Amino acid sequence: MSPFWSAFVMALIVLNLGITLFLFLWAPRVHIPTLADGTSGHVWAHGVLREGIRPLPVWWLVLSAAMFVVGFAYLALYPGFGAFKGLLGWTSHDQLARAHAVNDARLAPLTERVRATSIESLAGDRQAMAAGERLFVDNCAPCHGRDARGNQRLGAPNLANGIWLHGGDGATILASIADGRRGGMPSFAGAMPDDAIIDVVNYVESLSGLPHDPLRAQIGKRSFSTCAACHGADAKGNKALGAPDLTDAVWLYGRQHATLVETVRNGRSGVMPAWRGRLSDDEMKLLAGYVHGLSHPAVTQP
Amino acid sequence: MARGYRYFEAIEKNAALLGVLTLVMVSLGGLSEITPLFVEAHTVAPAPGVEPYDALRLAGKDIYVREGCYLCHSQMIRALRAETQRYGQFSVASESVYDRPFQWGSKRTGPDLARVGGKYSDAWHVQHLVDPRGVEPESNMPGYPWLAAASIDGADIAARMRALRTLGDPYTDADIDGAAKAVAGKTEMDALVAYLQGLGVDNEPRPDAKASEAAPK
Repeated sequence: MSPFWSAFVMALIVLNLGITLFLFLWAPRVHIPTLADGTSGHVWAHGVLREGIRPLPVWWLVLSAAMFVVGFAYLALYPGFGAFKGLLGWTSHDQLARAHAVNDARLAPLTERVRATSIESLAGDRQAMAAGERLFVDNCAPCHGRDARGNQRLGAPNLANGIWLHGGDGATILASIADGRRGGMPSFAGAMPDDAIIDVVNYVESLSGLPHDPLRAQIGKRSFSTCAACHGADAKGNKALGAPDLTDAVWLYGRQHATLVETVRNGRSGVMPAWRGRLSDDEMKLLAGYVHGLSHPAVTQP
Repeated sequence: MARGYRYFEAIEKNAALLGVLTLVMVSLGGLSEITPLFVEAHTVAPAPGVEPYDALRLAGKDIYVREGCYLCHSQMIRALRAETQRYGQFSVASESVYDRPFQWGSKRTGPDLARVGGKYSDAWHVQHLVDPRGVEPESNMPGYPWLAAASIDGADIAARMRALRTLGDPYTDADIDGAAKAVAGKTEMDALVAYLQGLGVDNEPRPDAKASEAAPK
Protein backbone atom coordinates (compact mmCIF):
# COMPACT_ATOMS: atom_id res chain seq x y z
CA MET A 1 0.00 0.00 0.00
CA SER A 2 1.47 3.35 -1.03
CA PRO A 3 2.02 6.04 1.65
CA PHE A 4 -0.75 8.13 0.12
CA TRP A 5 -3.40 5.41 0.39
CA SER A 6 -2.14 4.43 3.81
CA ALA A 7 -2.66 8.04 4.96
CA PHE A 8 -6.05 8.07 3.20
CA VAL A 9 -7.23 5.02 5.12
CA MET A 10 -5.82 6.33 8.40
CA ALA A 11 -7.58 9.67 7.90
CA LEU A 12 -10.92 7.99 7.23
CA ILE A 13 -10.55 5.74 10.29
CA VAL A 14 -9.66 8.71 12.51
CA LEU A 15 -12.58 10.67 11.08
CA ASN A 16 -15.05 7.83 11.52
CA LEU A 17 -13.99 6.77 15.00
CA GLY A 18 -13.47 10.42 16.01
CA ILE A 19 -16.97 11.47 15.07
CA THR A 20 -18.66 8.44 16.57
CA LEU A 21 -16.63 8.57 19.77
CA PHE A 22 -17.27 12.30 20.12
CA LEU A 23 -21.02 11.78 19.67
CA PHE A 24 -20.99 8.86 22.09
CA LEU A 25 -19.32 10.94 24.79
CA TRP A 26 -20.99 14.25 24.12
CA ALA A 27 -24.58 13.49 23.17
CA PRO A 28 -25.66 11.98 26.54
CA ARG A 29 -24.42 15.15 28.25
CA VAL A 30 -26.38 17.54 26.06
CA HIS A 31 -29.20 19.19 27.96
CA ILE A 32 -32.56 18.67 26.30
CA PRO A 33 -35.03 21.46 27.12
CA THR A 34 -38.23 20.12 28.67
CA LEU A 35 -41.68 21.51 29.37
CA ALA A 36 -43.09 21.86 32.85
CA ASP A 37 -44.57 18.33 32.68
CA GLY A 38 -41.14 16.82 31.95
CA THR A 39 -41.82 16.01 28.27
CA SER A 40 -39.83 17.29 25.32
CA GLY A 41 -42.79 19.00 23.73
CA HIS A 42 -42.80 16.56 20.77
CA VAL A 43 -46.30 15.26 20.27
CA TRP A 44 -47.78 12.58 18.04
CA ALA A 45 -51.28 11.39 17.25
CA HIS A 46 -52.80 14.80 17.84
CA GLY A 47 -51.39 15.15 21.31
CA VAL A 48 -52.26 11.65 22.53
CA LEU A 49 -48.58 10.66 22.61
CA ARG A 50 -46.04 12.99 24.15
CA GLU A 51 -42.31 12.29 24.11
CA GLY A 52 -40.64 11.95 27.48
CA ILE A 53 -36.95 12.28 28.32
CA ARG A 54 -35.13 9.15 29.44
CA PRO A 55 -31.44 8.44 29.82
CA LEU A 56 -30.01 5.90 27.37
CA PRO A 57 -30.34 2.32 28.64
CA VAL A 58 -27.27 1.10 30.51
CA TRP A 59 -26.95 -2.06 28.38
CA TRP A 60 -26.79 0.10 25.26
CA LEU A 61 -24.10 2.34 26.74
CA VAL A 62 -22.06 -0.64 27.92
CA LEU A 63 -22.26 -2.47 24.58
CA SER A 64 -21.38 0.66 22.64
CA ALA A 65 -18.41 1.38 24.90
CA ALA A 66 -17.29 -2.24 24.49
CA MET A 67 -17.45 -1.87 20.70
CA PHE A 68 -15.14 1.14 20.88
CA VAL A 69 -12.72 -0.77 23.08
CA VAL A 70 -12.73 -3.76 20.71
CA GLY A 71 -12.35 -1.48 17.69
CA PHE A 72 -9.35 0.37 19.08
CA ALA A 73 -7.76 -2.83 20.38
CA TYR A 74 -8.19 -4.48 16.97
CA LEU A 75 -6.56 -1.59 15.15
CA ALA A 76 -3.70 -1.62 17.65
CA LEU A 77 -3.07 -5.38 17.51
CA TYR A 78 -3.93 -6.41 13.94
CA PRO A 79 -3.30 -4.98 10.46
CA GLY A 80 -6.02 -2.50 9.50
CA PHE A 81 -4.86 1.03 10.35
CA GLY A 82 -3.42 1.97 6.96
CA ALA A 83 -0.03 0.36 6.45
CA PHE A 84 0.43 -0.20 10.21
CA LYS A 85 1.02 -3.92 10.66
CA GLY A 86 -0.32 -4.14 14.19
CA LEU A 87 1.56 -4.87 17.41
CA LEU A 88 1.09 -8.64 17.09
CA GLY A 89 2.59 -8.71 13.59
CA TRP A 90 -0.17 -11.15 12.61
CA THR A 91 -0.41 -12.29 8.99
CA SER A 92 -2.62 -14.94 7.45
CA HIS A 93 0.51 -16.57 6.00
CA ASP A 94 2.04 -16.93 9.49
CA GLN A 95 -1.19 -18.37 10.74
CA LEU A 96 -1.20 -20.89 7.88
CA ALA A 97 2.42 -21.84 8.59
CA ARG A 98 1.56 -22.34 12.27
CA ALA A 99 -1.46 -24.46 11.38
CA HIS A 100 0.76 -26.64 9.18
CA ALA A 101 3.38 -26.89 11.94
CA VAL A 102 0.75 -27.98 14.46
CA ASN A 103 -0.60 -30.57 12.05
CA ASP A 104 2.86 -31.82 11.11
CA ALA A 105 3.67 -32.23 14.81
CA ARG A 106 0.48 -34.22 15.31
CA LEU A 107 1.33 -36.43 12.37
CA ALA A 108 5.02 -36.74 13.34
CA PRO A 109 4.73 -40.25 14.85
CA LEU A 110 2.96 -41.48 11.72
CA THR A 111 5.41 -39.70 9.43
CA GLU A 112 8.35 -41.29 11.26
CA ARG A 113 6.82 -44.75 10.93
CA VAL A 114 6.06 -44.19 7.26
CA ARG A 115 9.65 -43.15 6.58
CA ALA A 116 11.02 -46.14 8.48
CA THR A 117 8.68 -48.72 6.94
CA SER A 118 8.87 -50.25 3.48
CA ILE A 119 5.99 -49.52 1.12
CA GLU A 120 5.02 -53.20 1.13
CA SER A 121 4.79 -53.27 4.95
CA LEU A 122 2.67 -50.12 5.31
CA ALA A 123 -0.49 -52.20 4.93
CA GLY A 124 0.09 -53.44 8.47
CA ASP A 125 -0.20 -49.91 9.86
CA ARG A 126 -3.86 -49.04 10.30
CA GLN A 127 -3.23 -45.33 10.76
CA ALA A 128 -1.10 -45.22 7.61
CA MET A 129 -3.84 -47.04 5.71
CA ALA A 130 -6.45 -44.57 6.97
CA ALA A 131 -4.31 -41.64 5.82
CA GLY A 132 -3.62 -43.42 2.53
CA GLU A 133 -7.30 -43.97 1.93
CA ARG A 134 -8.01 -40.28 2.59
CA LEU A 135 -5.34 -39.31 0.05
CA PHE A 136 -6.64 -41.88 -2.42
CA VAL A 137 -10.21 -40.58 -2.23
CA ASP A 138 -9.05 -36.97 -2.66
CA ASN A 139 -6.63 -37.55 -5.51
CA CYS A 140 -6.95 -40.94 -7.19
CA ALA A 141 -10.65 -41.78 -6.94
CA PRO A 142 -11.71 -39.42 -9.77
CA CYS A 143 -10.13 -41.83 -12.27
CA HIS A 144 -9.65 -45.13 -10.43
CA GLY A 145 -12.90 -44.94 -8.44
CA ARG A 146 -13.41 -44.88 -4.69
CA ASP A 147 -13.19 -48.65 -4.61
CA ALA A 148 -10.02 -48.51 -6.78
CA ARG A 149 -11.64 -50.80 -9.36
CA GLY A 150 -10.75 -48.49 -12.23
CA ASN A 151 -12.84 -46.85 -14.93
CA GLN A 152 -13.09 -48.38 -18.39
CA ARG A 153 -14.26 -45.10 -19.91
CA LEU A 154 -10.81 -43.70 -19.20
CA GLY A 155 -8.83 -46.90 -19.34
CA ALA A 156 -7.94 -46.26 -15.69
CA PRO A 157 -6.77 -49.66 -14.42
CA ASN A 158 -8.28 -51.61 -11.58
CA LEU A 159 -5.79 -51.26 -8.70
CA ALA A 160 -7.33 -53.91 -6.47
CA ASN A 161 -7.15 -57.06 -8.59
CA GLY A 162 -3.43 -57.74 -8.34
CA ILE A 163 -2.90 -57.30 -12.08
CA TRP A 164 -0.36 -54.65 -12.98
CA LEU A 165 0.58 -52.94 -16.21
CA HIS A 166 3.96 -51.73 -14.99
CA GLY A 167 4.53 -53.92 -11.96
CA GLY A 168 2.99 -54.23 -8.53
CA ASP A 169 5.99 -53.93 -6.24
CA GLY A 170 6.14 -50.89 -3.98
CA ALA A 171 8.89 -49.08 -5.87
CA THR A 172 7.10 -49.42 -9.22
CA ILE A 173 3.79 -48.24 -7.77
CA LEU A 174 5.58 -45.26 -6.21
CA ALA A 175 7.23 -44.48 -9.56
CA SER A 176 3.82 -44.63 -11.31
CA ILE A 177 2.42 -42.18 -8.78
CA ALA A 178 5.38 -39.80 -8.69
CA ASP A 179 6.15 -39.53 -12.40
CA GLY A 180 2.89 -40.63 -13.97
CA ARG A 181 2.49 -43.04 -16.85
CA ARG A 182 1.60 -42.67 -20.49
CA GLY A 183 -0.11 -45.48 -22.31
CA GLY A 184 0.95 -45.61 -25.94
CA MET A 185 -1.03 -48.09 -27.99
CA PRO A 186 -0.50 -46.92 -31.58
CA SER A 187 -3.27 -46.70 -34.14
CA PHE A 188 -3.23 -49.51 -36.72
CA ALA A 189 -5.90 -48.02 -38.97
CA GLY A 190 -3.27 -47.03 -41.53
CA ALA A 191 -0.95 -50.00 -41.06
CA MET A 192 -3.50 -52.81 -41.39
CA PRO A 193 -6.60 -53.25 -43.55
CA ASP A 194 -9.77 -53.10 -41.49
CA ASP A 195 -10.45 -56.77 -42.18
CA ALA A 196 -7.09 -57.71 -40.71
CA ILE A 197 -7.83 -55.61 -37.63
CA ILE A 198 -11.05 -57.52 -37.04
CA ASP A 199 -9.20 -60.80 -37.58
CA VAL A 200 -6.57 -59.91 -35.01
CA VAL A 201 -9.23 -58.80 -32.54
CA ASN A 202 -10.87 -62.20 -32.95
CA TYR A 203 -7.52 -63.83 -32.20
CA VAL A 204 -7.08 -61.65 -29.07
CA GLU A 205 -10.61 -62.57 -27.98
CA SER A 206 -9.76 -66.25 -28.37
CA LEU A 207 -6.82 -65.86 -25.96
CA SER A 208 -9.03 -65.22 -22.95
CA GLY A 209 -12.02 -67.28 -24.00
CA LEU A 210 -14.22 -64.43 -25.20
CA PRO A 211 -16.78 -65.25 -27.90
CA HIS A 212 -14.98 -65.13 -31.25
CA ASP A 213 -14.96 -66.45 -34.82
CA PRO A 214 -12.38 -69.32 -34.81
CA LEU A 215 -11.66 -68.96 -38.52
CA ARG A 216 -10.95 -65.23 -38.26
CA ALA A 217 -8.92 -65.88 -35.12
CA GLN A 218 -6.76 -68.35 -37.09
CA ILE A 219 -6.14 -65.68 -39.74
CA GLY A 220 -5.61 -62.99 -37.10
CA LYS A 221 -2.97 -65.05 -35.35
CA ARG A 222 -0.70 -64.48 -38.34
CA SER A 223 -0.85 -60.67 -38.03
CA PHE A 224 -0.33 -60.86 -34.26
CA SER A 225 3.44 -60.76 -34.81
CA THR A 226 3.01 -56.98 -35.14
CA CYS A 227 1.34 -56.85 -31.74
CA ALA A 228 3.92 -59.20 -30.23
CA ALA A 229 6.53 -56.45 -30.36
CA CYS A 230 4.90 -54.95 -27.27
CA HIS A 231 2.48 -57.58 -25.95
CA GLY A 232 4.92 -60.48 -26.42
CA ALA A 233 4.65 -63.54 -28.63
CA ASP A 234 2.66 -65.24 -25.87
CA ALA A 235 0.49 -62.09 -25.54
CA LYS A 236 1.33 -61.96 -21.84
CA GLY A 237 2.24 -58.29 -22.06
CA ASN A 238 5.40 -56.43 -21.15
CA LYS A 239 5.66 -54.62 -17.85
CA ALA A 240 8.67 -52.59 -18.99
CA LEU A 241 6.46 -50.99 -21.65
CA GLY A 242 3.23 -51.12 -19.70
CA ALA A 243 1.75 -53.32 -22.45
CA PRO A 244 -1.16 -55.24 -20.94
CA ASP A 245 -1.45 -59.01 -20.75
CA LEU A 246 -4.08 -59.97 -23.36
CA THR A 247 -4.73 -63.42 -21.97
CA ASP A 248 -5.93 -62.58 -18.47
CA ALA A 249 -9.54 -61.56 -19.20
CA VAL A 250 -8.90 -58.16 -17.60
CA TRP A 251 -9.61 -55.26 -19.90
CA LEU A 252 -8.67 -51.62 -19.49
CA TYR A 253 -11.32 -50.20 -21.80
CA GLY A 254 -13.80 -53.07 -21.72
CA ARG A 255 -14.07 -56.44 -23.43
CA GLN A 256 -16.79 -55.60 -25.95
CA HIS A 257 -15.85 -56.52 -29.51
CA ALA A 258 -16.45 -52.96 -30.74
CA THR A 259 -14.22 -51.57 -27.98
CA LEU A 260 -11.35 -53.91 -28.88
CA VAL A 261 -11.71 -53.05 -32.58
CA GLU A 262 -11.67 -49.37 -31.66
CA THR A 263 -8.51 -49.88 -29.58
CA VAL A 264 -6.61 -51.53 -32.43
CA ARG A 265 -7.98 -49.21 -35.07
CA ASN A 266 -7.40 -45.87 -33.33
CA GLY A 267 -4.93 -46.73 -30.60
CA ARG A 268 -5.15 -45.62 -26.99
CA SER A 269 -3.25 -43.00 -25.05
CA GLY A 270 -4.20 -43.30 -21.40
CA VAL A 271 -2.53 -40.77 -19.14
CA MET A 272 -1.72 -41.15 -15.48
CA PRO A 273 -0.71 -37.67 -14.27
CA ALA A 274 2.52 -37.16 -12.32
CA TRP A 275 1.91 -36.34 -8.67
CA ARG A 276 5.42 -35.26 -7.70
CA GLY A 277 5.16 -31.63 -6.63
CA ARG A 278 1.43 -31.86 -6.00
CA LEU A 279 1.88 -34.43 -3.23
CA SER A 280 4.77 -34.64 -0.77
CA ASP A 281 7.16 -37.61 -0.73
CA ASP A 282 5.51 -38.90 2.45
CA GLU A 283 2.06 -38.58 0.93
CA MET A 284 3.12 -40.45 -2.22
CA LYS A 285 4.65 -43.21 -0.09
CA LEU A 286 1.43 -43.48 1.93
CA LEU A 287 -0.52 -43.75 -1.31
CA ALA A 288 1.82 -46.37 -2.73
CA GLY A 289 1.44 -48.37 0.49
CA TYR A 290 -2.34 -48.05 0.34
CA VAL A 291 -2.51 -49.09 -3.31
CA HIS A 292 -0.10 -52.00 -2.70
CA GLY A 293 -2.21 -53.04 0.26
CA LEU A 294 -5.36 -53.20 -1.86
CA SER A 295 -4.18 -56.40 -3.50
CA HIS A 296 -1.71 -57.61 -0.87
CA PRO A 297 -3.20 -58.44 2.52
CA ALA A 298 -1.28 -57.07 5.48
CA VAL A 299 1.59 -59.32 6.48
CA THR A 300 2.00 -58.07 10.03
CA GLN A 301 -0.49 -56.60 12.44
CA PRO A 302 0.62 -53.66 14.59
CA MET B 1 -25.38 22.83 27.20
CA ALA B 2 -28.65 23.85 25.71
CA ARG B 3 -26.83 25.00 22.58
CA GLY B 4 -25.81 21.47 21.72
CA TYR B 5 -29.43 20.48 21.48
CA ARG B 6 -29.91 22.96 18.64
CA TYR B 7 -27.60 20.91 16.39
CA PHE B 8 -29.44 17.70 17.09
CA GLU B 9 -32.74 19.43 16.52
CA ALA B 10 -31.55 20.84 13.19
CA ILE B 11 -30.48 17.38 11.98
CA GLU B 12 -33.49 15.51 13.29
CA LYS B 13 -35.99 17.94 11.85
CA ASN B 14 -34.32 18.10 8.42
CA ALA B 15 -34.68 14.76 6.66
CA ALA B 16 -32.40 15.75 3.75
CA LEU B 17 -29.55 16.77 6.07
CA LEU B 18 -30.02 13.61 8.14
CA GLY B 19 -29.87 11.57 4.95
CA VAL B 20 -26.71 13.24 3.67
CA LEU B 21 -24.86 12.93 6.99
CA THR B 22 -25.94 9.27 7.32
CA LEU B 23 -24.65 8.62 3.80
CA VAL B 24 -21.30 10.22 4.66
CA MET B 25 -20.84 8.10 7.76
CA VAL B 26 -21.94 4.86 6.10
CA SER B 27 -19.66 5.42 3.10
CA LEU B 28 -16.48 5.83 5.18
CA GLY B 29 -15.99 2.08 5.52
CA GLY B 30 -16.40 1.47 1.80
CA LEU B 31 -14.13 4.37 0.86
CA SER B 32 -11.29 3.07 3.01
CA GLU B 33 -11.73 -0.60 2.07
CA ILE B 34 -12.46 -0.39 -1.63
CA THR B 35 -10.93 2.79 -3.07
CA PRO B 36 -7.22 2.04 -2.46
CA LEU B 37 -7.47 -1.50 -3.88
CA PHE B 38 -9.56 -0.29 -6.80
CA VAL B 39 -7.12 2.45 -7.75
CA GLU B 40 -4.00 0.36 -7.12
CA ALA B 41 -5.24 -2.81 -8.86
CA HIS B 42 -3.25 -2.01 -12.02
CA THR B 43 0.00 -1.97 -10.05
CA VAL B 44 -0.20 -5.74 -9.39
CA ALA B 45 2.52 -7.30 -11.55
CA PRO B 46 2.04 -10.77 -13.04
CA ALA B 47 3.61 -13.60 -11.03
CA PRO B 48 6.56 -15.38 -12.67
CA GLY B 49 5.20 -17.79 -15.23
CA VAL B 50 1.91 -15.94 -15.65
CA GLU B 51 1.45 -15.18 -19.35
CA PRO B 52 -1.57 -13.85 -21.22
CA TYR B 53 -3.80 -16.73 -22.34
CA ASP B 54 -2.87 -18.19 -25.70
CA ALA B 55 -5.66 -18.27 -28.30
CA LEU B 56 -7.04 -21.70 -27.39
CA ARG B 57 -6.96 -21.12 -23.65
CA LEU B 58 -8.50 -17.68 -24.08
CA ALA B 59 -11.37 -19.30 -25.98
CA GLY B 60 -11.62 -21.85 -23.16
CA LYS B 61 -11.67 -19.16 -20.51
CA ASP B 62 -14.56 -17.41 -22.26
CA ILE B 63 -16.45 -20.71 -22.46
CA TYR B 64 -15.80 -21.17 -18.73
CA VAL B 65 -17.38 -17.75 -18.14
CA ARG B 66 -20.21 -18.32 -20.62
CA GLU B 67 -21.24 -21.62 -19.05
CA GLY B 68 -21.14 -20.07 -15.59
CA CYS B 69 -18.57 -22.47 -14.16
CA TYR B 70 -17.70 -19.78 -11.60
CA LEU B 71 -21.15 -20.20 -10.06
CA CYS B 72 -20.07 -23.52 -8.55
CA HIS B 73 -16.26 -23.49 -8.79
CA SER B 74 -13.94 -20.97 -7.17
CA GLN B 75 -10.41 -20.25 -8.34
CA MET B 76 -9.19 -18.90 -5.04
CA ILE B 77 -7.31 -21.09 -2.60
CA ARG B 78 -7.39 -19.33 0.74
CA ALA B 79 -4.50 -19.35 3.20
CA LEU B 80 -6.12 -22.02 5.36
CA ARG B 81 -4.60 -25.44 6.00
CA ALA B 82 -7.75 -27.30 4.96
CA GLU B 83 -7.49 -25.62 1.56
CA THR B 84 -3.75 -25.68 0.96
CA GLN B 85 -3.60 -29.39 1.83
CA ARG B 86 -6.35 -30.24 -0.60
CA TYR B 87 -5.79 -27.76 -3.43
CA GLY B 88 -2.17 -26.62 -3.12
CA GLN B 89 -0.40 -23.36 -2.38
CA PHE B 90 -2.77 -20.44 -1.65
CA SER B 91 -3.67 -18.09 -4.49
CA VAL B 92 -2.19 -14.61 -4.83
CA ALA B 93 -3.48 -11.61 -6.78
CA SER B 94 -0.55 -11.62 -9.20
CA GLU B 95 -1.72 -14.98 -10.59
CA SER B 96 -4.96 -13.58 -12.00
CA VAL B 97 -3.80 -10.34 -13.62
CA TYR B 98 -4.86 -11.60 -17.05
CA ASP B 99 -8.26 -12.88 -15.92
CA ARG B 100 -10.87 -10.43 -17.17
CA PRO B 101 -13.13 -10.82 -15.30
CA PHE B 102 -11.30 -12.64 -12.49
CA GLN B 103 -12.73 -16.06 -11.70
CA TRP B 104 -12.14 -16.17 -7.95
CA GLY B 105 -15.79 -16.99 -7.40
CA SER B 106 -17.63 -16.91 -4.12
CA LYS B 107 -19.23 -20.34 -3.94
CA ARG B 108 -18.00 -23.90 -4.00
CA THR B 109 -20.57 -26.48 -4.95
CA GLY B 110 -17.73 -28.21 -6.74
CA PRO B 111 -14.06 -28.07 -5.79
CA ASP B 112 -11.72 -25.13 -6.24
CA LEU B 113 -10.05 -25.14 -9.66
CA ALA B 114 -7.22 -22.66 -9.13
CA ARG B 115 -4.59 -25.42 -9.46
CA VAL B 116 -6.52 -28.17 -11.21
CA GLY B 117 -4.20 -28.06 -14.24
CA GLY B 118 -2.41 -31.38 -14.67
CA LYS B 119 -4.27 -33.06 -11.82
CA TYR B 120 -6.30 -35.17 -14.26
CA SER B 121 -5.69 -36.35 -17.79
CA ASP B 122 -7.25 -34.61 -20.80
CA ALA B 123 -9.39 -37.70 -21.36
CA TRP B 124 -10.70 -37.43 -17.81
CA HIS B 125 -11.76 -33.82 -18.40
CA VAL B 126 -13.53 -34.73 -21.64
CA GLN B 127 -15.38 -37.63 -20.01
CA HIS B 128 -16.19 -35.52 -16.98
CA LEU B 129 -17.54 -32.60 -19.01
CA VAL B 130 -19.66 -34.86 -21.23
CA ASP B 131 -20.99 -37.04 -18.44
CA PRO B 132 -19.77 -36.08 -14.94
CA ARG B 133 -21.29 -39.13 -13.28
CA GLY B 134 -19.38 -41.41 -15.62
CA VAL B 135 -16.26 -40.63 -13.62
CA GLU B 136 -17.65 -39.23 -10.37
CA PRO B 137 -20.76 -41.22 -9.42
CA GLU B 138 -21.76 -38.75 -6.69
CA SER B 139 -21.20 -35.58 -8.70
CA ASN B 140 -24.13 -33.21 -9.17
CA MET B 141 -22.43 -31.22 -11.92
CA PRO B 142 -24.42 -30.89 -15.13
CA GLY B 143 -23.00 -32.37 -18.33
CA TYR B 144 -21.78 -30.16 -21.17
CA PRO B 145 -21.88 -32.59 -24.12
CA TRP B 146 -22.51 -29.91 -26.74
CA LEU B 147 -19.03 -28.45 -26.24
CA ALA B 148 -17.54 -31.37 -28.18
CA ALA B 149 -19.62 -30.46 -31.24
CA ALA B 150 -19.19 -26.66 -31.13
CA SER B 151 -16.40 -25.08 -33.14
CA ILE B 152 -14.47 -21.91 -32.37
CA ASP B 153 -14.41 -18.80 -34.55
CA GLY B 154 -10.75 -17.85 -35.04
CA ALA B 155 -11.50 -14.30 -36.18
CA ASP B 156 -13.56 -13.78 -33.06
CA ILE B 157 -10.70 -14.93 -30.80
CA ALA B 158 -8.29 -12.60 -32.65
CA ALA B 159 -10.72 -9.72 -32.05
CA ARG B 160 -10.87 -10.55 -28.36
CA MET B 161 -7.08 -10.59 -28.17
CA ARG B 162 -6.97 -7.15 -29.82
CA ALA B 163 -9.51 -5.88 -27.30
CA LEU B 164 -7.43 -7.28 -24.43
CA ARG B 165 -4.34 -5.62 -25.88
CA THR B 166 -6.03 -2.24 -25.67
CA LEU B 167 -6.58 -3.02 -21.99
CA GLY B 168 -2.85 -3.62 -21.58
CA ASP B 169 -2.37 -7.38 -22.04
CA PRO B 170 0.97 -7.86 -23.83
CA TYR B 171 -0.20 -9.73 -26.93
CA THR B 172 2.11 -9.41 -29.93
CA ASP B 173 0.94 -9.02 -33.52
CA ALA B 174 2.19 -12.57 -34.11
CA ASP B 175 -0.02 -13.85 -31.27
CA ILE B 176 -3.06 -12.19 -32.77
CA ASP B 177 -2.29 -13.15 -36.36
CA GLY B 178 -1.71 -16.74 -35.27
CA ALA B 179 -4.94 -16.96 -33.26
CA ALA B 180 -7.12 -18.22 -36.10
CA LYS B 181 -4.59 -20.91 -36.96
CA ALA B 182 -4.21 -21.93 -33.30
CA VAL B 183 -7.91 -22.63 -32.87
CA ALA B 184 -8.57 -23.98 -36.37
CA GLY B 185 -10.36 -27.32 -36.19
CA LYS B 186 -10.58 -27.18 -32.40
CA THR B 187 -13.85 -27.66 -30.57
CA GLU B 188 -15.06 -25.76 -27.54
CA MET B 189 -14.30 -28.93 -25.57
CA ASP B 190 -10.64 -28.77 -26.65
CA ALA B 191 -10.49 -25.11 -25.64
CA LEU B 192 -12.08 -25.62 -22.23
CA VAL B 193 -9.86 -28.61 -21.45
CA ALA B 194 -6.78 -26.62 -22.52
CA TYR B 195 -7.87 -23.79 -20.24
CA LEU B 196 -8.48 -26.12 -17.29
CA GLN B 197 -5.18 -27.95 -17.84
CA GLY B 198 -3.36 -24.60 -17.71
CA LEU B 199 -4.86 -23.46 -14.42
CA GLY B 200 -2.26 -22.80 -11.76
CA VAL B 201 0.38 -25.00 -13.36
CA ASP B 202 3.20 -22.57 -14.01
CA ASN B 203 2.39 -19.83 -11.57
CA GLU B 204 2.33 -21.61 -8.24
CA PRO B 205 4.14 -19.35 -5.78
CA ARG B 206 7.50 -20.93 -5.09
CA PRO B 207 7.85 -22.81 -1.81
CA ASP B 208 11.03 -20.92 -0.86
CA ALA B 209 9.21 -17.60 -1.36
CA LYS B 210 6.45 -18.92 0.87
CA ALA B 211 8.91 -19.95 3.55
CA SER B 212 10.48 -16.51 3.72
CA GLU B 213 7.09 -14.80 3.83
CA ALA B 214 5.85 -17.17 6.47
CA ALA B 215 8.94 -16.99 8.65
CA PRO B 216 7.96 -16.05 12.21
CA LYS B 217 8.90 -12.48 13.01
